[in-house]
Amino acid sequence: MALSDFLTELDALLGEAPAAFGAAGDAAALEAARVQFVGAKSGRLKAVQKGLAAVDKADRPAAGKRFNEVKQAIESAHQAAVERLASASRPAAAARCADPTVPGDCRRLGRLHPITQTIEELKEIMGRLGFSVADGPEIEDQWYNFEALNIPADHPARNPLENFYLELGDGGRGTGDGNHGTAVELPSQHTQQYPAPRPHPPAPSFLLRSQTSTVQIRAMERMRPPVRIISCGRVYRPDTADATHFPMFHQMEGLLVDRGVTMADLKSTLRLFARSAFADDVHIRFRPSFFPFTEPSVEVDMSWADGWIEMGGAGMVDPNVLQAVGYDPEEYSGFAFGLGIERICARRHGIADIRELFKNDVRFLQQF
Amino acid sequence: MLVSWNWLKQYVPLDMPLEELQRRLTLSGLNHEGTAEVAGDMAIDLEVTSNRPDCLGHIGIAREVAVLWNHALTIPAANPRESKTPVDSLVSVRIECPDLCLRYTARAIRGVKIGPSPQWMARRLETVGLTPINNVVDISNYVLMECGQPLHTFDFGKLGNKGDRSNLPHSGPSGAAHKLDLSPLFPREIVVRRPLLGETTEAIDHKTYQLGPEMCMICDGKAPVAIGGVMGGAQTEISPDTRDVLIEAAEFDPVSIRNTARLLNLHSDSSYRFERRVDPEGLDWASRRCCELILDLAGGELARGIVDVGRPPRKREPIVLRFSQLQRILGIEVPAERVREILISLGNVEETGKQGLGIGDWGLDSGIGVQGSGESGGCEAASGKSHISNQQLSNPQSLIPNPSLTMVPPSWRRDLTREIDLIEEVGRIHGYDAIPEDVGVPMVPSARRREDRVLEKVRHVLTACGFDEAVTLSAVDRHTSESLSPWTDAEPLRSALPVVRGADRLRRSLLPSLLAARRANEALANPIIELFEIAKAYLPQGAELPREPLLLGIAGGRDYPAVKGVVEAILRELKIAEPVEAEEAGIAQLDTAASCRLRFRGQTLGYVGRLTDDALKQFDLRGPATVAEVRLAPLIEAADLMPRCVEQSSYPAVTRDLNLVVAESVRWADVAATARREAGPCLETLQYRDTYRDEKRLGVDRKSLLFSIVLRSGECTFTNQQADEIRERIVAACRSEHGAELRT
Repeated sequence: MALSDFLTELDALLGEAPAAFGAAGDAAALEAARVQFVGAKSGRLKAVQKGLAAVDKADRPAAGKRFNEVKQAIESAHQAAVERLASASRPAAAARCADPTVPGDCRRLGRLHPITQTIEELKEIMGRLGFSVADGPEIEDQWYNFEALNIPADHPARNPLENFYLELGDGGRGTGDGNHGTAVELPSQHTQQYPAPRPHPPAPSFLLRSQTSTVQIRAMERMRPPVRIISCGRVYRPDTADATHFPMFHQMEGLLVDRGVTMADLKSTLRLFARSAFADDVHIRFRPSFFPFTEPSVEVDMSWADGWIEMGGAGMVDPNVLQAVGYDPEEYSGFAFGLGIERICARRHGIADIRELFKNDVRFLQQF
Repeated sequence: MLVSWNWLKQYVPLDMPLEELQRRLTLSGLNHEGTAEVAGDMAIDLEVTSNRPDCLGHIGIAREVAVLWNHALTIPAANPRESKTPVDSLVSVRIECPDLCLRYTARAIRGVKIGPSPQWMARRLETVGLTPINNVVDISNYVLMECGQPLHTFDFGKLGNKGDRSNLPHSGPSGAAHKLDLSPLFPREIVVRRPLLGETTEAIDHKTYQLGPEMCMICDGKAPVAIGGVMGGAQTEISPDTRDVLIEAAEFDPVSIRNTARLLNLHSDSSYRFERRVDPEGLDWASRRCCELILDLAGGELARGIVDVGRPPRKREPIVLRFSQLQRILGIEVPAERVREILISLGNVEETGKQGLGIGDWGLDSGIGVQGSGESGGCEAASGKSHISNQQLSNPQSLIPNPSLTMVPPSWRRDLTREIDLIEEVGRIHGYDAIPEDVGVPMVPSARRREDRVLEKVRHVLTACGFDEAVTLSAVDRHTSESLSPWTDAEPLRSALPVVRGADRLRRSLLPSLLAARRANEALANPIIELFEIAKAYLPQGAELPREPLLLGIAGGRDYPAVKGVVEAILRELKIAEPVEAEEAGIAQLDTAASCRLRFRGQTLGYVGRLTDDALKQFDLRGPATVAEVRLAPLIEAADLMPRCVEQSSYPAVTRDLNLVVAESVRWADVAATARREAGPCLETLQYRDTYRDEKRLGVDRKSLLFSIVLRSGECTFTNQQADEIRERIVAACRSEHGAELRT
C-alpha cells in the first residue's frame, strides 16, 4: 500500500471520529461511536492499523508516526466527549447528593451552674456600684458567727438545733498544702490594717456559718472605713429540704460603712441593684424586722407585677457590731443586707423547686 | 400570733378597714401572714419578731394600732374586790433557785364554781385557736392572750403539804363546809426548786416527764406540781370539783425555759412567751385581771393581797435620743414633736431635768452646743441658743430648742435600751416609706478580684471542653467520706446534726460527691456525663479552724489523657510559666498506669487518674470514669493575667518529626528536656505525638516516642540543612543520655 493511501485513510478517520464523538448526545451514543472508531477488535482504527504492515518498508516509520498521532488525537477527542457528557449531567447529580440540612460538627459545650451564673451577675452588678468582693471561711467560730454579730450566748439563734455545730476530728495533719480558705480575701485597694480589739478568745466550738454576715466582721477587722464589700457563698441552716428550702444555700451579703451612711443610702443602693438585676421600674419597700446585727432592721420588698415580693433582709449596722470590730459608732455608720441567691436564681430561670439545683442532672444543667 | 378582730376592738377603736389594718401593721413591724373568718370574727395572723414579746398579747397589738392611728388605748383597770383573809395566811412561796425563777407571785380565790365559760369568752378563745375547757382554765388562757403574761391556776385543795395529804382540809362540794379554815396546815407552801435526782412529774397532757437537773419545778410540800413556765401538773389541775384556786403569775429565766421546753419537747404558749421574756411590771396586772375575771365568771372570794417573792422589777434606765442622730441614721428629718409623740404613745415616759441634756451634749455632730452639764433643764426648758447645730439652723423645721430628749422606756419593752433602739421606733412608726430611694450614693472604684478573674478563665476552659458545672453538698455520709480522700488522712469534721440525712461528714475532697452525681446521671441513662465543681474542702487541723482549700474537681467519662489535657489546657490558659511536674499518684483508687500527681512549686497541685475497676465498683459506677482534683490557690497566685506582647518572627518555620526507641523506663519528660536543650533558642514548639509499643518490632520492654519539633529563626529563614543538623543533635544526645535509637 502506498503511503499516501494509508495517510488518506488516517485523515478520514481523523475527520470523522471526533465529529461522531462530538455528535453523541449521551453516553450510549458515545460508546457506539467509540466502538465504531477505536473498538479493540473491529474498530476502524484497528482496521487501518492492519494496513500498516502493507506499507512499503521504507515508509513505515513515517506511517507509524502518523498513525500514533492520529490515534492520540482520536482518543483525546473521545476523552473530551466523555468529559463533555459528564459535565453536562453533573449539576443534576450534585443536587441529588446534597443535603443542606445535615448538621455541622457541633461541639457540645459545658454549662455553668445557674447558681454560679447568678452569683457572677450579682457580683458584676454590685461591682459597677462600687462594691468589691470579699470572702471568708465557711466554718466559723462563735466569735464571727455570733458574738461579734451581737448575738449573745443566751440568744435563741445559737440553739444547737438551729445550727450545724461541728465535732472536731482526730486533729491529724493533712498531706495537702491548701491554706487559702481560712484567711479573708480582701479587695486590693484596702490594705491598711486597722487594729481591732478582740475581747474574747475564740470559743472552742466551730460551726458551719449560718449567714455570710460573718464576712462583715472579718472584713471590718482588717479594713479602715470606707468599707464597701459584698460576699457571696455557701451558708448552712438545719431546714427541712422542700421546694423553697435546702439546708445548704447561698447568700449575697453587702456592707457599706463610712461617715454619714443612712437608711436612704441603703434603700437607694438596693433600688439601683434591683433596677440592674430585674427591671428598670422597680421600687423598694422596707418592712420593720429584727436581726441582732442590724438596727434598725428591715425586710426588703421589691415592687413586682402590681404587688411586692421579698428580696431579703437589711438594716443599719448595729452600733455593737461596729464596736466589736473597733469602729466608733459615733463616727461611722453603715448598712448591711443579705439576699438569698437561690431565690433570685429560681425566679430568673423559673425553677419551681430549688432542690433541683443540687441534683446535678446534666439535662437540668444543660438548660442554662 | 393570732389576733381576734372583735377582741382587739375592746382596747382600741377599729374604725379602719381590715385591709388597712393589715397593711399598716405589716409596714410597722407586725407582718400580716393571713386572715381567716371564724364564726363572725376575724382571726388575723401576725408575725411577731423575737424582740417584741409585748406583741404576744392583744393589748400589745392594740397599743401598736393606737399609736399608728393616734387612737386612745383602753386597758381594763383590773381591781378585783378583796376579802379580809390575808393571802399569806393561806400560802407561802419560797424560791430555791432564783437563777431559774426570777419572781413568783400568788393570789388565792376560795369557793369558785367551775363551769363552762360564757359564750363571748369561749368564742374569743376559739378565734385565736384555743379550745375552751372550763371557766377558770379559760380565764388564765384568756389573760395570757390578752396581755402576754402566762398564768397558771392550781386546784388549791390538791396542793399537798409537808404532812400527809389525807389530813389536808379539802373544800368539799358544799360551800358551807368551806368557811375559812385556818388549820395548822396553813399556810400551804409553794417551793420553786430544781428537781430531785430521778424525779418525774405528770403534766396536764397526762404524760409523765423525766426531769433534768436545770429545770424549774413548782412544788408543793412534797412533789412537783408544775413544770415552771412550761406546763402545769395533772395532779393539781382544775377539775369540776375544784373549789379553791391558786393563781400563779411568775417570771422565769428565758434560757432555762427554752432548754426545758426543748429537752422535754414540750412547747406551750407559756414557754413561748417566757423564752422571749415577759413584762416584769405586768405580773401583778395579769394576776389581778385573772382574779377579777374569776370573781366575775366563777364567783368565789379573793384573799387579800399578794404573795410576791423574788427579784422586784428593775428600774429602767433613761435613754437619751439626740435629734441629730435620727437624720444621721434614717436619712430623713422627723419633726421633734412627732418624735416625742411617737415615743410617748409607745409608752415611753419623758424624763425632764438635767439628766438628759448633760448626756445629749457630747453627741452633737457639729461640735457646737457644748455646754456645762446640767446648765439647761429638761426638754421643754432649754433655751435653744447653744443647742442648734449648723444643720438645724439651715432647716427651719428643726429649729427646736432642744437637741435631744430623754425617755424612760416602758417595762414591756426590754428591747429598748439604747439610742439606736429609739431611732428604730421613730423610724418604723413614722414610716420607712418616708425614706427616699433615689439619693445619690457616691461612686467609688472597685476592681474584680484576682481570684474571680482566674476562676472565670478556669470555668471558660472547662465549659469549652464540654464539662457541666455541678454544685454538690459540702457534707457527705460516712461511706462517701471514706471512699476517697487524697488530701488528708485526718478524720473529717463532723456536724452534730446531719446536713441532710446521713450526711454528717464535712468533705475532704469534692470527688466522692462528683462521682455520686455521676452515678445519679448514669441511673438516668444520660449519655454524656462530664462534671466539674469549684468548691472548698474542709481539712481538719486540730483545735484551729480547719483549712478550706478551694478545689477544682473533675469527674468524667473520657480517658485519662483527655482529662489530663483539660488540666493542661487550664495551666496554659492561665499562662503558668513555672513547670508543673508529674509523678506517680500513689492513690489506691486510681489506676497506676493511668494516673499522676501534679507538683507545682514543690507542693502537690493535684491528681488526675482513671478509677480502678475496684473503685468503680465501690462508687457503683457502670462505665469507666476519670477524675482530677486540683488546688486553685497556687494557680490564682501564679496566673499571668496580663501577658506581655512578644514580637513574632517574620520567617517561615521548618518542622521535623522524630521517632526514638527507648527503654520503657525512660520518661517522656526527660527526652523532651534533652530535645529542648539541644534544639536551642530556635525551637518554637516541641509536640509530643504518641507512644508506640510492639514487642516484635521494637523488642521487649521498649517503646518508641514520636514527636515533632518546629524550628524558626528570628533572623533568617531556617534552612533544611540547619533543621537536619538540629534533628541529628537531638538524636545523638538522646542516644547518649537515654539510650535512644532512631527508628527509621
